[in-house]
Amino acid sequence: MNKNVISFFNKIQNIDRRYIYIVVAFSIIIPLLIPFNSRTYVTKPTEDIYKKVDSFAGDENKAVLMSFTHDASTMPELFPMEVSVLRHCFERNIKVFTICWIPAAAPLVDYALNTAREDFDVQSGVDYCNFGYKPYVLRLPIMLGMGDDIAKAVETDSQGRKVENLEIMKNIKNYDDMNLVIDFAASGSALQWITYARARFGANIAAGVTAVMVADNYPYLQTGQLMGMFRGLKGAAEYEKLVDVFAAYESEDYPNGRPFSKEVIKETRVPITGDTVPYKYKKARIGMNAQSVAHIMIIFFILLGNIGYFITRKKEL
Amino acid sequence: MKRQIPLIIIMTLGFMFVAHSFIPHKISVDFFDWFQDWAKAISPFAVSLGIMSLFMVHGTKIKRKVPNWQYSVITLAGLIFTAFAGFAWGTQSGTPYMWLFENVQMPMSATMFSLLAFYIASAAYKAFRARSAEATVLLVAAVVVMLGQVPLGAMISKWIPETSTWILNVPNLAAKRAIMIGVGLGITATSLKILLGIERTYLGGGD
Repeated sequence: MNKNVISFFNKIQNIDRRYIYIVVAFSIIIPLLIPFNSRTYVTKPTEDIYKKVDSFAGDENKAVLMSFTHDASTMPELFPMEVSVLRHCFERNIKVFTICWIPAAAPLVDYALNTAREDFDVQSGVDYCNFGYKPYVLRLPIMLGMGDDIAKAVETDSQGRKVENLEIMKNIKNYDDMNLVIDFAASGSALQWITYARARFGANIAAGVTAVMVADNYPYLQTGQLMGMFRGLKGAAEYEKLVDVFAAYESEDYPNGRPFSKEVIKETRVPITGDTVPYKYKKARIGMNAQSVAHIMIIFFILLGNIGYFITRKKEL
Repeated sequence: MKRQIPLIIIMTLGFMFVAHSFIPHKISVDFFDWFQDWAKAISPFAVSLGIMSLFMVHGTKIKRKVPNWQYSVITLAGLIFTAFAGFAWGTQSGTPYMWLFENVQMPMSATMFSLLAFYIASAAYKAFRARSAEATVLLVAAVVVMLGQVPLGAMISKWIPETSTWILNVPNLAAKRAIMIGVGLGITATSLKILLGIERTYLGGGD
C-alpha cells in the first residue's frame, strides 16, 4: 500500500482528541444556529402517550400527573417533552398536575409551567395545579396515599393552598381519576410508579427518559407496565410534532384540535424553519437536527478509526 | 439495647408494611395514615441534616485551607445566596431565584452533561475497534442503533429503525431481564433477611 496512505492513517490514529472535540462542537452548534427541516418519524411509544392524554380532552373527571425527577443537567432532553405535554393539556382542556421530588427540580417545574401557560388562558388551581417539591423520602407514602385520596396525601400545593379546596380537585379523588402518570427522569424512577401506583391501583404509567436510560426501561414497555415512553430527545421531537399536527390544529371543522389519525401524521410535515411554530415548541426538533449530525460524525469517526486500524495492522503483519 | 431497639422497630414496621400491602383492612389503612403523618414530620430533618453536613464538610476545608478550599467558599456562598433569594423574593417567575436558575444553574448543569457527547465521540474514535468477532457485533449494533435514533436512519432504509428496535427489544431485553431477575431475587432475599433480623450490618458497629 502507498506509504503516504499508511503514514496518513498512522497520523490519524494518533490525532489529538481536541480536533475531535472541535468537529463535534461545530457539528452540534451549526445545526442549532441554522435550523433545517428534517422528517420526524413518530413511533408507537410516543403515539400511545399522545392518544392516552388526548382521550382525557375536555373530561372533568380525568387528569394527568407529571412527575419531575431530574435536575437541570438533563433539561435539553427532558424539558421539551414536559413543555409539549403541558401544551397538549392546555390546548385540549385537560386537567394537569405537576409534582417534583428533588429540590433542583422545583424551579424547573415552574419554568415549564411558565413557558407553556403564557399562550393559554389557564389558571392555577383551576386548569392545572403544581403540588410543588415533596421530599424524596415522602415519595413512597405519597405514591401510595394518592391511590386512596390525593388531597390527603399531598395536602398543600406549591403556593401553600389546601389541595382539597382547589377547584381542579372537583371530581379528582385518586388514581381512578388522575389516571395517567408521566414520570420524567434521568433514571429508572418510573419503576416505583409501576410497582406502587400501577400494581396496586391500576394507574397508567408512562415515562419520559433520557436516551441513555431508554434500554433500561424497555422491559416495562414491552410488558405493557409502561403504556408509553418518550425516548430521549427523539421522543420529545415526536410529541412536539403530534401536538402541532393534531392538538394545536385549527380549522373550521376542527376549532379545538383534530383527532389522531395515522394517515394524517404520515402525510403531514411541519416546517420548523419559519415562524409558524414558536421556538419553544420546536426546540426538540431543532435539537434532533444537531443530534443527527452528531451521530453521523460519531459513526464517521468510528469508521475512520477502524479503517486506520486495519490498514496499520495489515502493515504490521 | 442499642442494637435491639432499632431491630425491633425495623422488624415490627417491616412486617406491618407487608401486611398493609396485602390486607386492605381499616386497621391497616389507619396505620398507613399514621405513618404518612410521621414521614412528613421527619422529612424536614433530613434537609436540615444535609445542610448541616454541607457546612461541616466545607467549613472544615475552609478552616484548614486545604487545596482548592476556594471552591468550598463558592459552594457555601451559592447555598446561602440562593436560599436567601428564595426566602426574600419568592420562587416565582421574574424573581432573583428564578434568574439564578435560568442563568446559572441551568446552563452550567447542561454544560456538564453535554460534555458526555465529546467524550463519547473521542472514545468511539480511539477505542471502538473491530478487534474480535464480539467487538464487531457490538460495533455494528451501536452504529445501527445510533442511525435508528435519528431521522437519517429511516431515510436511508426502513430496515434501520426496525433493526434498531429489534436490537432493543430482543437481545437487549434478554440481557436486561436476566440482570433484573437476579437483582429482584437479591432484593427479596436481602429484604427477608432484614425483616427476620438475620442481616444486621445496616445497624453498623461490625458483625
